[in-house]
Amino acid sequence: MSWSWLDWLREAVGQPQFTLLFAPAAKFLVAIFAIFLLIAYLVFAERRLLGFLQVRLGPNRVGPWGLLQPIADILKLLVKEDTIPNRAVRWAYLLAPCLVVAPALVIFSVVPFGPSPTAPGAPRWYVTDLNAALVFVVALASLGIYGIILGGWASNNKFSLLGGLRSAAQMVSYEVPQGLALVGPLMLAGSLSLVGIVEGQARLGLWFAVPQIVAFFVYFVAGVAETNRNPFDLPEAESELVAGFHTEYSGVRFALFFLGEYANMIVISAIAVTVFLGGWLRPFPSVEALAFLDLVPGVAWFFLKVFAFLFLFIWFRGTFPRFRFDQLMDLGWKWLIPLSLANVLVTGLVVVLVDRGP
Amino acid sequence: MSGAGPAGEALFGLREMELNFGPQHPATHGVMRLKLKVDGERIVDCYPIIGYLHRGTEKLFELHPFFQNVPHTDRLDYVAAATNNLAYVGAVEKLVGLEVPPRARYIRVILAELQRISSHLVWLATHAIDIGAMTPFFYCFREREVILDLFEQYCGARLTLNCMRPGGQPYDLPQGWVDRCGEFVADFPAKVAEYEGLLTENRIWKRRTVGVGVLPPETAIAYGVTGPMLRGSGVAWDLRKAMPYEAYGEVEFDVPVYANGDTYDRYLVRMEEMRQSARIVRQCLERLPGGPIMAKRPRVLKAAAEAEVYHAVEGPKGELGFYIVGDGGPNPYRCHVRPTSFMNLQALPEMARGALISDLVALIGTVDIVLGEIDR
Amino acid sequence: MSALKRFLDKILLLDLFAGLAITGRHLFRRKVTIQYPEERLEPADRFRGMFRLDAERCIKCTLCARDCPIDIIYIDWHQETNPETGKKEKVLDRFDIDIQRCMFCGLCEEACPTEPKSIWLTTKTYELASYDRWRNLYVTMEQLESWRVRPKYTDEEVA
Repeated sequence: MSWSWLDWLREAVGQPQFTLLFAPAAKFLVAIFAIFLLIAYLVFAERRLLGFLQVRLGPNRVGPWGLLQPIADILKLLVKEDTIPNRAVRWAYLLAPCLVVAPALVIFSVVPFGPSPTAPGAPRWYVTDLNAALVFVVALASLGIYGIILGGWASNNKFSLLGGLRSAAQMVSYEVPQGLALVGPLMLAGSLSLVGIVEGQARLGLWFAVPQIVAFFVYFVAGVAETNRNPFDLPEAESELVAGFHTEYSGVRFALFFLGEYANMIVISAIAVTVFLGGWLRPFPSVEALAFLDLVPGVAWFFLKVFAFLFLFIWFRGTFPRFRFDQLMDLGWKWLIPLSLANVLVTGLVVVLVDRGP
Repeated sequence: MSGAGPAGEALFGLREMELNFGPQHPATHGVMRLKLKVDGERIVDCYPIIGYLHRGTEKLFELHPFFQNVPHTDRLDYVAAATNNLAYVGAVEKLVGLEVPPRARYIRVILAELQRISSHLVWLATHAIDIGAMTPFFYCFREREVILDLFEQYCGARLTLNCMRPGGQPYDLPQGWVDRCGEFVADFPAKVAEYEGLLTENRIWKRRTVGVGVLPPETAIAYGVTGPMLRGSGVAWDLRKAMPYEAYGEVEFDVPVYANGDTYDRYLVRMEEMRQSARIVRQCLERLPGGPIMAKRPRVLKAAAEAEVYHAVEGPKGELGFYIVGDGGPNPYRCHVRPTSFMNLQALPEMARGALISDLVALIGTVDIVLGEIDR
Repeated sequence: MSALKRFLDKILLLDLFAGLAITGRHLFRRKVTIQYPEERLEPADRFRGMFRLDAERCIKCTLCARDCPIDIIYIDWHQETNPETGKKEKVLDRFDIDIQRCMFCGLCEEACPTEPKSIWLTTKTYELASYDRWRNLYVTMEQLESWRVRPKYTDEEVA
């Protein structure tokens, strides 16, 4: 047997083009795999935590403390039959779940999990530092909802259709405040890049959540709504629309919807942490007395904050009733959009005045 | 979501969509089917279709002697079996002419009020989960479990109790039961406060229930609506106060009445009723008289020929009545049930018209139906 | 003042935080789950579960079969002369209960005239699941007599 292919590979890896072409792809694959695992265990954590909130135990049978439950769930979903309703619009029906997952995953490519390398050879904790990352994020986040609308419509089921309709309404009313809420931090940092925004917070010595508390609130509420989580889970609304847009989905495609929802949760949390809570920065980044906190690597801080957010999502689900369709619109248009607009105005004024100041 | 008006129909060929809500739907609490006409999410018309759980219970009554029918009544409103037993045995006692001993009457009131609490807990649990609040469900069932344990200790069954007989009670209270029950009713108001903390002031809950499904008192009376639904519309009508039966004349309790007639008021009525029920149970436990628990009665009960009787009690859901005709034999000649949920359900289309689908779910919850009783 | 309070309530979302506090408290409470196959609840003394029959006490009066609302108790007996005493006695041929239709109302136990009862349901058994309802849930006399014995509650325990 010839081993020449190995030599070829060794040679190829040494080429600068290889690093250029394949290294980001490999990084992205690793990131995606990690995220899949994270999502699977997020589902598990949610079930356990919801159980604890509701004075019960949650899944604890598969493996020690039920830790293998997500693996069992994945296996189950993978081997289940992938049913397609008789008169469904086939191509749309098959496409919809992918449309939900893909954008959510792509967004991770611009999320900085940790600081840029300070020394040569140190790991770089993001796939790419896009200079228009914020626009990219907002654009992709709104793509995901097409999958939900499409899935609801293509299922040829009236309940799914209503779910899709609700989702469309939700998208229209919550994209706007979400985007507007990000404008405030953007102006403060003077950068559209997520890395730039975190560095802006480091420069300011303050998390943007403090000066931008209103924007933070608006972004969070809109984010919960965007991910179709309680109390804004109208498109699925189990007790009303019987799971809404994914009523008809089964097996892998259902799993993809599920994945999409949880990936979106992580995305919303990650963006919120990056933009408002200082990303990889430690708490009170300007206070010297707390410098010992720097011993904890930035990545750990980042994920700690993300998990705190995810816990909030779960806690909300365990506590609040669901909004009604029209009330959701009401909240979006009459409260969040004016609030975020006012915030943009005030932030703009302050930035201009401070810049011109002595 | 408009456009389905005449203009929309002419221009775009738009029309209302027909939507089958049930019989397999998590929010219909059983096997009820609602034929909805919806314009977007707005309900234009609502037409309940019932009968999926029909078992011919009224015919079964005719085929069995009076005492054998008690287990059949368990299966009418199966979340409130004790109340069904109470209404049925009350009717039979009236028909045959039996005097129930005081101890039995007190035990009956305790059982009926515990059952009211447990029925309201099931209502609250399902109502909240329909509106999207998941957690009260588990808290309610935690307390309901305690009540079911009490039932199990008293009569050996948890759900289909068969715990009353014409003429009295089949069993006396077991040892320690009074203490355990007293403990439960002492703790219970704190638990109600817990549920209320999750829901009553919550702005989302309020927005989902205040002003939803308003039922004016005249309409409620016209439809024959009773129970918390009627009291939520501002009509102070409670059979326990209006025509006291068993030991209700001897205990103190308030009948909560709220005037707005919306889902939120009906919710408040039921929450307060749970507290009042606990209060009644506490009083009964304190005053529990001694003595026999069963009246002197012949082994085979026989009604007089052409005797007929109607006896109604205030069940958790409203007036539950039994109309029994005797023909001199050991079986009822005819037995008709006045099912509470059936009467209350009739007001649903009235409330649902013009509401949204989300409201419909809240409305089904607020009517508090049990299909076993509706379809019989 | 109350207007101010209402305004503060409105923007501070106090009602929502109150709800979160309640669920948050429960996060650390003791859980009420019973882990079934390992932990089992002991039924109450009066729990109506699987039947048990004492054929020797039974006087073959068939009252239980007659009082059963759904007629699932089947009793056959014949008369036989006891060789020891020379008296005629009733002997059970068959005492079957079709459990699959039973609603465990306990009327058969109540009808039984012997003291203590010859048929009772207080065996504290609730695990009656079966793979074959046609065969496994039709219980014959032998099975009724050999069922796991649990003490029946006595009248002294009754307060």
